[in-house]
Amino acid sequence: MLELSGVSRSFGGVYAVRDVSLTVADGEVCGVIGPNGAGKSTLFNLITGHLPADHGRISFLGQRVDRLAPHRRAGLGMSIVFQAARVFRGMTVRENVMVGMHGRTGAGFVSAALRLPRHRRDEREITAETDAVLGRVGLAEWADRPAELLPIGQQRALQLARALCARPRLLLLDEPASGLRGQERERLAALVEELRADGLTILLIEHDVAFVTRLADRVVVLDLGRVIADGPPAEVRSDPLVLAAYLGQPS
Amino acid sequence: MIGRVAGALVAVVTLALPAVLADSALAVYILLGLAAMVTVGVSLLMGYAGQVSLGQGAFYAIGAYTAALLALHGVPPVIGLVAAPVAAAGFALVIGVPLLRLRGHHLAFATLAMQLILLSLAGQLEFTGGDIGLQAIPQFSAGSFEAGSALAYAYLTWAGLALVMLVTRNVIRSRPGRALRALATSETAAASSGIPVGRYKLVVFALSAAFAGLAGGIYCFYTGYVAPGSFPVLISIQYIVMAVVGGLGTIWGAVAGAAAITLLVQGLNSLAALPGMPSYAPGVLSYAVYALVLVLVVLFLPRGLLPAVTGRLRRDRPPVETR
Repeated sequence: MLELSGVSRSFGGVYAVRDVSLTVADGEVCGVIGPNGAGKSTLFNLITGHLPADHGRISFLGQRVDRLAPHRRAGLGMSIVFQAARVFRGMTVRENVMVGMHGRTGAGFVSAALRLPRHRRDEREITAETDAVLGRVGLAEWADRPAELLPIGQQRALQLARALCARPRLLLLDEPASGLRGQERERLAALVEELRADGLTILLIEHDVAFVTRLADRVVVLDLGRVIADGPPAEVRSDPLVLAAYLGQPS
Repeated sequence: MIGRVAGALVAVVTLALPAVLADSALAVYILLGLAAMVTVGVSLLMGYAGQVSLGQGAFYAIGAYTAALLALHGVPPVIGLVAAPVAAAGFALVIGVPLLRLRGHHLAFATLAMQLILLSLAGQLEFTGGDIGLQAIPQFSAGSFEAGSALAYAYLTWAGLALVMLVTRNVIRSRPGRALRALATSETAAASSGIPVGRYKLVVFALSAAFAGLAGGIYCFYTGYVAPGSFPVLISIQYIVMAVVGGLGTIWGAVAGAAAITLLVQGLNSLAALPGMPSYAPGVLSYAVYALVLVLVVLFLPRGLLPAVTGRLRRDRPPVETR
């Protein structure tokens, strides 16, 4: 589904991501882990299109996407949950989630201004889908509150709801567990497990090794911008190279 | 329910006022309506979509010059009035492609520069009448109706304002409106939700320009002349002050802000014209008051007049639920 080959990106002569190749297969949950500064965030931004790659190619669903703008990649079926709280301020929780339906509907300024049938049809569809997804992530009772007032755990759930509204082929999660406390983290993990059971393809970039090894079918380990291990969680966890990179010492 | 009643009340007062106002007050009423029309566009652009423009006066001028030039060349005024917002929006679409790559105060300065350039061009070019401008613009007419009185212009202005407010409200509560509000917070997150950020910024810029252009078109028929001096840079700043004072990101706030500032300026002008006031009084009073009002509002009512009032109302209601 997603294929990176020989992807590199440097900042001021220092490689943040160097010659990374990885594939995410259909229906797979792929985890990317690595210590701080390993290049996880850069890799994420290269895939989503918020950073252009210096070298290499990125294909999604058999199509080259490395020159496409972020909104075009979203249109092909990539949905993102950002690490930083990217809830839209001044909008309710429901309105925030409604934005996720943007790519699946088409009513423009003219339809909206004149309240044409196209607008009404879209609004009906958007409302129905949004309510369903809000219920699924457990935000139904928060729907009419200002989104920026939600606690961080719920903001993460909101972003997930927005991403799901787009009916993605590939869901990209950037450090979804960061900043969450035990119970919030558990709830999120349960939700991701549910999505995996539905057959959704997920790329999970995460600092927390326990979180990733619980959820991922396969784990890719980055260190200093390079892939140092790639395999099932149990195998990767006992890889001496990974232990050295992660713990700073062989154990 | 309360909103409906308040809306109906405002509509009745708006329609009844021109009939009872004296001529000088009617002139203020028309200018207030025109300013509100531009300010609704500013509120849409700044308050909802998060883009700053210090050049809305330029679009007002483009609308006025377009309608005036067409009318002076024998084109029916109705066509001129339709062409005014179209020309302003068209210009915004062209200039917006490079300008909207800028953000924040860079964008503000670029739009300000745009207005300065346009004003100096209008003052130099022959077909715009140079510094003297265009005069003897015919009255507005549509079919057998001719707007010969201030009363007719008052209704034309407020009908235009109602249209602008309706379009803004409809856009805000819709798929494109939510996209605009989303990109105001984070262009990155908006793009990742599939929103073509650049295109949407361009469209909302053009829409706000169209509102200013429509106001400019009505203005030129009402006053009968346009000149570069009618569109000083201060006018663009005034629209922003109005939008901020009224409450950015509220449609009624834009109208409230326009009303508050227009009435305040009128009051100060009559104060400055009192016998015994020095000759520099009008200038000092108006500039100083813009600054003072802006500072006071930002300090004490950061969300603007209207949200401050309606927020107070809401807080006075018994709490429905607590958790």
